[in-house]
Amino acid sequence: MTMKNYWMMLVLLCCSLTAALAQEKNVSGTVTDQNGLPLPGVSIMVVGTTNGTQTDFDGNYAITASTGQILRFSYIGQKTVDRTVGASLIINVQMEDDAQALEEVVVTGYTSQRRSDITGSVVKVESEKLGEIIAPSVDQALQGNVSGLTVSATSGTPGSTSNIRIRGISSITAGNEPLYVIDGVPVSNGNVGTSGAYSSLSALAGLDQNNIESITVLKDASATAQYGARGSNGVILITTKGGKAGKTVFSINSTYGFQNDAITGPVPLTAANRLELAAEAYFNDGIYPSEQEATQALLGGPFAEWDANGRPEARWDRAVANKDAIIQQHSFSASGGGEGHTFFASLGYMQQEATVIGSDFERISGSLNFSKDLTDNITFSSSNQASHMLQNAFLETSAYFESPRTVKYFISPLLQPYNEDGSYNLFGGSLPNPLYLTENNTSENRLTRIVTNNSVNWDFAEGFTFGSTFNVDFQLYNFRTYSNPTYGYGAPTSGDASQYDRTNVFYVFQNYLDYNFDINDDHRFKLKVLQEYQSNRRYFLGGDGQNFADEGLENLDNLGTPTGVSSSFNDWYVGAYMGLLNYSAFDSRYVLDLSYRREGNSRFSKDNRWGNFWSVGAAWNLNKENFLADSDWVNALKLRASYGVTGNALIGLNQFQSLFGYAADYGGEGAQYVDTFGNEDLTWETSNTLDVGVDFGLFNNVVSGSVAYFNRDSKDLLLDVPLSQTTGFASQVQNIGELNNKGFEIDINFNVIDTEDMSLSIGGNISKVKNEITSLPVDPNGEERTITTVRTRIESGHPAYAWYMPTWAGVNPETGVEEFYINGVDGETTTNFNEAEAVFQGGNAVPTTTAGLNLSFSYKGFFLNATGYYAGGHKIYEGWHLYLNQTNAYPILAFQGYTSLLDRWQQPGDIARNGAFTTSAEPWQRHSKYLYDADFMRLRSLTVGYDVPSKALETVGLTKLRVFLRGNNLLTWVKDDNLLFDPEVDIDSQNGTVDPGETGLETPPTRSISLGVNINF
Amino acid sequence: MLLAAAGLLLGSCTADSLEPTLSQNKSVEGSVTKVENLYSILKGAHNTLTGSGYYGRDMIATNEVRSDNCFSNGNSGRFTTQGEYEYNANTGFVWDNAYYVIANANIIINTDVTTLEGDIAYGEHLQGAAMILRALAHFDLLRVYGQQHAGGNLGVPIVTEFKGEDLFPPRSTVDEVKAAIYNDLETAFGMMDSSFDTSKTIVSKYMAKALESRVAVYFGDWGRAVSASEAVINSGLYSIIGADSYVSSWAGDGGSNVLFELAFSGADNQGPNALSYIYRFPADEPGGYGDLQVVSTVIDLFEDGDVRADILGYQDGGTRLRNMGKYPDTATGADNIPLFRYEEVILNYAEALLETGGDALTQINLIRANRGVFIYASVTKEDILNERRKELMFEGFRYDDLVRTGQSIPYWGSTENSLGTIGYPNNLFAYPIPISEINANSNMVQNDGY
Repeated sequence: MTMKNYWMMLVLLCCSLTAALAQEKNVSGTVTDQNGLPLPGVSIMVVGTTNGTQTDFDGNYAITASTGQILRFSYIGQKTVDRTVGASLIINVQMEDDAQALEEVVVTGYTSQRRSDITGSVVKVESEKLGEIIAPSVDQALQGNVSGLTVSATSGTPGSTSNIRIRGISSITAGNEPLYVIDGVPVSNGNVGTSGAYSSLSALAGLDQNNIESITVLKDASATAQYGARGSNGVILITTKGGKAGKTVFSINSTYGFQNDAITGPVPLTAANRLELAAEAYFNDGIYPSEQEATQALLGGPFAEWDANGRPEARWDRAVANKDAIIQQHSFSASGGGEGHTFFASLGYMQQEATVIGSDFERISGSLNFSKDLTDNITFSSSNQASHMLQNAFLETSAYFESPRTVKYFISPLLQPYNEDGSYNLFGGSLPNPLYLTENNTSENRLTRIVTNNSVNWDFAEGFTFGSTFNVDFQLYNFRTYSNPTYGYGAPTSGDASQYDRTNVFYVFQNYLDYNFDINDDHRFKLKVLQEYQSNRRYFLGGDGQNFADEGLENLDNLGTPTGVSSSFNDWYVGAYMGLLNYSAFDSRYVLDLSYRREGNSRFSKDNRWGNFWSVGAAWNLNKENFLADSDWVNALKLRASYGVTGNALIGLNQFQSLFGYAADYGGEGAQYVDTFGNEDLTWETSNTLDVGVDFGLFNNVVSGSVAYFNRDSKDLLLDVPLSQTTGFASQVQNIGELNNKGFEIDINFNVIDTEDMSLSIGGNISKVKNEITSLPVDPNGEERTITTVRTRIESGHPAYAWYMPTWAGVNPETGVEEFYINGVDGETTTNFNEAEAVFQGGNAVPTTTAGLNLSFSYKGFFLNATGYYAGGHKIYEGWHLYLNQTNAYPILAFQGYTSLLDRWQQPGDIARNGAFTTSAEPWQRHSKYLYDADFMRLRSLTVGYDVPSKALETVGLTKLRVFLRGNNLLTWVKDDNLLFDPEVDIDSQNGTVDPGETGLETPPTRSISLGVNINF
Repeated sequence: MLLAAAGLLLGSCTADSLEPTLSQNKSVEGSVTKVENLYSILKGAHNTLTGSGYYGRDMIATNEVRSDNCFSNGNSGRFTTQGEYEYNANTGFVWDNAYYVIANANIIINTDVTTLEGDIAYGEHLQGAAMILRALAHFDLLRVYGQQHAGGNLGVPIVTEFKGEDLFPPRSTVDEVKAAIYNDLETAFGMMDSSFDTSKTIVSKYMAKALESRVAVYFGDWGRAVSASEAVINSGLYSIIGADSYVSSWAGDGGSNVLFELAFSGADNQGPNALSYIYRFPADEPGGYGDLQVVSTVIDLFEDGDVRADILGYQDGGTRLRNMGKYPDTATGADNIPLFRYEEVILNYAEALLETGGDALTQINLIRANRGVFIYASVTKEDILNERRKELMFEGFRYDDLVRTGQSIPYWGSTENSLGTIGYPNNLFAYPIPISEINANSNMVQNDGY
């Protein structure tokens, strides 16, 4: 290009620019809502161009446009307004509420639906409600807020998993946990811990609750059939926060508080109690002629040192308690957006100490959700959650003698925690001093979790959208233990250490096509076809060993004697094709939902891999019928029904093949053994669910709620069918057996007062579920193959894992011996436990009734929110009673007991709960004395707070300032006085390997009081 | 277009991409192609024997705690149920492990070795070894669950196939099981070639005869006991351990008196579930498990100078009599556990000779001459049983010796308080069939009294 040409080009360019500028002008104005209040964040576009802007905080905007162009004002929940630019430079707009758009949109799986279009049982819990429970893992917050859903924490150790059951138990030995979906993508959320002996760590704890917009729980088949094979147990959809176009909003949320055990729990005997009871036992056994002589002998023997030292009380329960344990969380976020993009970014920190020494949880997390219009019709969005968690775990799932919680109950009160000079008392014996061990030993769970979800949507033609999603859930896990070589269980081997690494990589690909079309205004259709592929790969590596040269060396490099190495690889895959059709007639007066999913799962053999799942749902919005349209008191009235087939495949990998395992060695050489019995015919477990319900809103929505009934038949259960062990195997997974769950749920909410200054609403829900096994496999003689343990039995006509054991008949007042009913029910008694028949004791460990109660009250800026939870109709069994709560040698000579033992038989005529003490150790005998009604009620949360008025805040540049005081689990009521432990226990059968519902030595749920502040600017 | 293409690509790969990877497993069908594979499965079966639910602890400990050698002090709550004869159908024992050994042995035995790569003769030798393990497991099941000392004649199911036709077998009679055991042992002896025996931790040819002599003594088949014992003796492969080495031999592996011992090591042991850990506290004072305590009068059985008394010792300030010498590695349980010792064969032989009018005296004195005690001039059945008790103490023989000779058994509570005696015969001498078996298989008959 010559210089001359260059100049010519420039002149032309300038001319054209000038021409354009000449026609444009600056238009400005204010946008208000129908009440005349300024509306910030309204999007303003010059139609036909990419030119756009938004209103500021005061509803003002300014934009350049030419005369004759159209400005389009749009805002969620408002009717869109178009204005043509005329002569005036000022265009003020008053927008109107759009009733239809205002209606809540609920994510119902792969799609979102307006509330009135939903045909199934779907419950949405908003972030504010979720925030009322301060805990690392958000599932805790669902307790009491979702009808038909029970949450039972497996432990109060921070970061631990919870058991969630939606509408009962659908399977006996396959999994019962619901499917978790984050932003539309199924993810794994169970325990990531590799050692079952140590505290569990929930993958869900990696998600900062402050980043969650809402949680939707899908209960019925019309919603869950979309998730096909994994929908049977219900689905929990987590939607993370996104940004809104407009000024960037910064938000700070902080709470800081203190926690203690929610209930005191059993109180250990004192040393003085112990002396009294031991003397009594020696006398009862005839070893000494009188209690006085026995006391003298004990004071000359095991109690001598204690006596000489002035009879100090050790009080181990206090020594191991971490009183007023700290719980704090802080999050900082920014959200906003501009032309064609929105974002939400956050940083979070959470720390929680356990209520017992030596255990805590820490998490640092960050998120970035971003959405960008790449072109007019292509949108890219990406949501990313990353976190790193560190949990100081401890041996808690059994009576591990190194655990401080075991020590609390098991250690003799004659042993003092400290020496006179204040140093730790390093005594010998089975139970080492946990004060020293928690300081010098290590057991750490670490998890780094990144969930990244990226999608592209392309509106390629009128009504058509094509989308692609790619999601990675990456979990990097490390677990390490170290026992010091000086004192405790590490001492005999000069210390030991282990370390395990696991990398889990989940990929999900989805491709889908949406087609929305209207035949006319009265008949609207939404069609979606989708293809999905998920892969899960797990890489594991670990090692352990013994013998360190010195203390404090924790790495495997420094081990003198390596004792084990292991590595493994596992994978599973799911592929699916799905079609969804939603038909809405006459403005949603009638709604029809159809879904079909064909899914393949690598857990089954090639021939049995694919299954079909489908659902039909229908709703009738009566309030839209002419005869109710003008009703003053009916605002919403919907009849809905759905029926569908869902599946469950939560069994171990590769169960369909007969397999050799090689994870054995003998004499230092590799060895093999038959490892899996195999069953080529294995396929899906299926559930057919009927759900009918009524949703209503009456008297201007002063009263609203819903009533639902459900009936779920599960068949072809993936059951660990007991085999004759002469085969070499205890069980084989087969598709056999049937199970039914039915029940109802009522949700109701009263907006008692709703004025500008004051509001009061009271809501509640109650649900009942009945679980019954309807069919089990039979053997060649036609006899049912029941599964019986010392506590439970699985048999037709009873709930799964129904309690089954001999019945305790009390203590004989004449002899002081505990007796049992021979026939298991009544009448003749026996002192020979093996003579007493085991019988069903009624119920299992899963609550049959759950209820929640919510109250929220506000007056001007002050507010009060409360949530209560009730669970009942179930029973739990006391673990470890042989050693801690029986009148034998263990509580008084070897270990330690509870003060409940003081209620014991001493002489003929005594009516006591416990028999006469003996110095003999007794064998395990499990019977109904230690089975308790587990009904309980809890004040889950109570919050009082104050929102500083916005006028006062403007002067300091804030848009929101809220301070509050929040209590969690402040009150607990337990029905059965004899139940000393917290009634919330692990109710998972771990694929049929344990009897669910036994109290253990885990950390109980905690009671906390926190002070919090929310600031937006 | 690009996205649509990507979608199609993904769609096409879905159907084929659902095949799981077998990284650390192999399918049973088709993966046994070499003789070496049989050896690997055989080692796997040995590994099952080392488990704490079998010979790694329970098989030996349960018998000892039910005998007049030991009682359970309940320090960790273990073995009180067994020691006080309080077991019921929920009390687990060796049923599952023994049949698991049988299942693996059956895979070896039923493989057609001619189809395998490798030395066919070695393959047959390994099959013989598997038959010995199958016989051992059937014998263990029979002596635990059989009704021979409970006034009945039911034995246990005989299983000779993995995943065979009958997955719900009924119990065979005691005699049928015994016959199957003898049959396996005779067949095994014929198939095996002792030149392939290179390790004492793998079942060897003469173990077939040692086990046959043990079974024959148990059932009083004296003629068979004599000939089986002689076969072992005449092999010349083994010798009685000398007095000087008796105690120390327990801390070492592969002694000249050992026919077969289970391998344990620093890297492969049962840790706190080890046999050693149940016999004693890790330190002198109560701690760990150490539930199996020795009845305090047992020390009086030993004559002055008997080196076997040195196996015993005291803990807890000299107040608790203990097995300190057998399986001495308490910290990790890394000592091998001998299951067949030459001394037992000699004692079997002596007893069988006594019963058949042979020269028992010479045999019993072979033992005594090596234990620091005087030589008998004459010998009675009681002398032999006493000698067995002292020689094989804590190795799991005493309970069977008591019941097979029809004696009542004294038993104790956790403070060594006498709980009386269990008279012979007794329902308690046949362990209850596990309730899981009864529930899964209605062809199974429970023993009386459970």
